[in-house]
Parts: sequence; structure tokens; C-alpha cells
Amino acid sequence: MLEDSGFIDVTIGPPVDTFGGAIGERKARVFDVYGYAFRARKPE
Amino acid sequence: MTTHNDLLVDPATLRDQVKEKYRAVAVDPHTTFHFHTGRPLAARLGYDTAVVEALPDRAVESFAGVGNPFSLRALERGERVVDIGSGAGFDSFIAASQVGSTGRVTGIDMTTEMLAKSRVTAAELGLTHVEFRDGLAEQLPVDETWADVAISNGVINLCADKQAVFAEIHRVLRPGGTLQFADIANGRPMPPEALSDIDLWTG
Repeated sequence: MLEDSGFIDVTIGPPVDTFGGAIGERKARVFDVYGYAFRARKPE
Repeated sequence: MTTHNDLLVDPATLRDQVKEKYRAVAVDPHTTFHFHTGRPLAARLGYDTAVVEALPDRAVESFAGVGNPFSLRALERGERVVDIGSGAGFDSFIAASQVGSTGRVTGIDMTTEMLAKSRVTAAELGLTHVEFRDGLAEQLPVDETWADVAISNGVINLCADKQAVFAEIHRVLRPGGTLQFADIANGRPMPPEALSDIDLWTG
């Protein structure tokens, strides 16, 4: 989707267990949900 | 072009539910939510401990991000930053410390109670290079090509029309500007009925 929107050089960081130990952990585990950092650039 | 009929949920209904959820995070941050909040969350997500400790509780207690938008790139001195869905201002204040007084940080949020907290904190800290504006991710109140960097944390997944959000970020970034954000993604496909269940979007 980022590239469809005109961004380039997309980088994705490692997964972070955002919901571990929280009430939302159960639902997060069902769909393998993690937090990620994203970086992209608008072309010159 | 995406029409409302193409979207999985109604944008206005989702927006109302998100506002309600984050109003609670703003006014009663020590309630238990389905996600972590505050200083324990900042530590879990790898924020610089010394920087977080220097911030007042009001700036941190309502933090509800899902990752660290600064983990892939630290901001540079003098950069102009727009923070989409700035909440009580946590990431905006981290950004302000990185860009310094020659930079600018503009936080955008749609929740009145979050905006109030962020503005009080900015005034308390004497940060004249940080401001917070009322607005939507799909209609950022920021001039075209104003920003060197756009940041966001756990917000875009809460927007019904993500394509519209990315188009708007593209509009406000200067050519060569950087988008660095954190958000959740699922590793297993969700069934269609789950994708259109608006309650699952917010918790």
C-alpha cells in the first residue's frame, strides 16, 4: 500500500510483541498481530 | 479512488468509536485497557529510558503506541515533523527533543481531551517549537510539502481509508521527505466477517 501511494525505499523493522501480557494478547495471538516500525521515502 | 462503499467499515462510525476509546485513555489513563499504556509500554517498545524519564507524567501516561517510530531512523536537528494522531503528545515530545529548537513539530489529533493534555504539557515544558492542531489523518491541517518527516504510532490501523491517509501524508511531505511510523500488522489472514466487525478494530 505504501508503494501504491507513491513511496519508495520501504523498510520494515522486526516484530515487537506489543500486546504481550495485556488483555488484548489473546486476540493478537489468534491473528499473529505484532507491532512493526516502517520507514519509507517520498521520491525527490 | 476509494469510495465509502469500498471500505470495510464506515469511516465516521469507526472514528466515533476510536474517539470514545482514546478519550478514556486521555482522562483515565490508569484504567486497564486491552493494550499497554504509559511508561511500561514505552520501556517495552525500546524508547530511550533517559528521554522518557525526563518527560512529565502527563506526557507519558496516555501513551498507547504499538511500536517505536524512531527505531529505524533518529530525527535530525532542524527537521520539520508532523505527528499524525499525536494523542497526549508523547512521540511529539520525543521528536521535539531530537529536532531541537531549530526544528518544528506539529501534532495532529481528533480527540479533544488528548489535544488539551498535549497543549498543557507543551506549555509546561516551554516548548515553543511544538504545536498541536485539531484534525484528521485523512485531512491533515498542514500545508503541502511542509514536512521533512511524518511520524505516527498505532493510528493508521484505526483509519478506515488507509489509502487516503497515505495520500495525505504524501501531500504534506516535501520531495525526498521521510515517513517513519509504527503500526500493527497481522501475520495470519483475518476472515471477512472479522474485517468488517468494527468492534475488532478498536479492541
